[in-house]
Amino acid sequence: MILFDLPTNTDVMAGSALKRLLAEYKQLTLNPPEGIIAGPVDEENFFEWEALIMGPEDTCFEGGVFPARLTFPSDYPLSPPKMKFTCDIFHPNIYSDGRVCISILHAPGDDPMGYETSAERWSPVQSVEKILLSVVSMLAEPNDESAANVDAAKTWRDDRKKFLEIAERTVRKSLGI
Amino acid sequence: MAEAFNFDPDKNYDEATMEQQRNIEKEISANQALVSFQIDFDTVSADYSKEDETYLGKIQDLKIKYKCVRRTRGDGNCFYRAFGFAYLEQLLTNQVDYARFKEVATRSKDELVSLGFPQFTIEDFHDTFMDVVEKVGTPCTTKELHETFNDQGISDYLVVYLRLLVSGYLQKKADFYQNFIEGGRSVKEFCNQEVEPMGKESDHLQVMALTSALGVAVRVVYMDRGESGQCNHHDFPEESSPSVYLLYRPGHYDILYS
Repeated sequence: MILFDLPTNTDVMAGSALKRLLAEYKQLTLNPPEGIIAGPVDEENFFEWEALIMGPEDTCFEGGVFPARLTFPSDYPLSPPKMKFTCDIFHPNIYSDGRVCISILHAPGDDPMGYETSAERWSPVQSVEKILLSVVSMLAEPNDESAANVDAAKTWRDDRKKFLEIAERTVRKSLGI
Repeated sequence: MAEAFNFDPDKNYDEATMEQQRNIEKEISANQALVSFQIDFDTVSADYSKEDETYLGKIQDLKIKYKCVRRTRGDGNCFYRAFGFAYLEQLLTNQVDYARFKEVATRSKDELVSLGFPQFTIEDFHDTFMDVVEKVGTPCTTKELHETFNDQGISDYLVVYLRLLVSGYLQKKADFYQNFIEGGRSVKEFCNQEVEPMGKESDHLQVMALTSALGVAVRVVYMDRGESGQCNHHDFPEESSPSVYLLYRPGHYDILYS
């Protein structure tokens, strides 16, 4: 039984997503948070962003500059974007292929890692800025409870010296030295 | 016999699960309007098998008290969508309450910002919400409102804003609502996890908060497996005279017309 003639709404939704992404881009350009640069890869496609994240001070990632890609769904901000580092980075909460795994990138229930109940989730009031700030905190404080890279989590927990050495190499590599 | 499960370390199971979830959602949306046309109770009866005397009996009870039903899509947003449509539809013909509501809705943005919500993300949803509120105030027909609520882009933004109003109200009255929240979570955590994200279903608490935040009285009529033969109802707030009627069946809200 057809109760209603359903139009395809992808374009309409992509319209509000585009409006929102433009506003976020403007906001990030006018008031850039410390240590973060982000924006569309090219002006033709606002659904694909590149971000540069500086390793936070007083951590083993200090001095590094880490590039990442953000891919936004057509129903953004109802659904979160995906984020992936495009450089090598050995970290408990980053998969070996670079995908970032933190609670804010997941809506509640959409929960592969079984995050702590208090962890902040995706909701439409979050923003690119909030995600990137969470990623900076994640770099500063790895969470080995819900690990995406089990090897990195084990090293962080059991062999801190080795973890710091790998981090230092990562930092130098990110700078091309 | 089922095939033995071999874990493939290169395969991304999280994404496979999410993909499956999205396909289920697509299937639901292809079969169901966000808000349906008005349908009669005989059509509702067709949801149940002929042997299901408890439910069929209750539908007969509803038939005596109410005219018809509008279904909403079962996507976890049904309470907000049902409430939003039913109330705005009332306002099409109630200028006094419209003026009151418009003022409450206009003011709500600054209240949310003062509670600590980020201004520019709130503005995004508030703008769309107010566009629709404006539209209701210019001569607008039920048909036009119905079309607006079936335009997924706009309709979902309305749902988001109603969710934010609930979140704001719960946080504003956190001392009181903390008593109802289970699992050792704070009101803010509850809002971040159960109220603000799309698709999270609503419980008593959300109904209480939204009706209080907007000053709108709602009657929820419960149709469940209880043996009484009649549908119980509850008014939010208690002892009010409701202007919106919702039908609750376990896990789902639709709109009722008296």
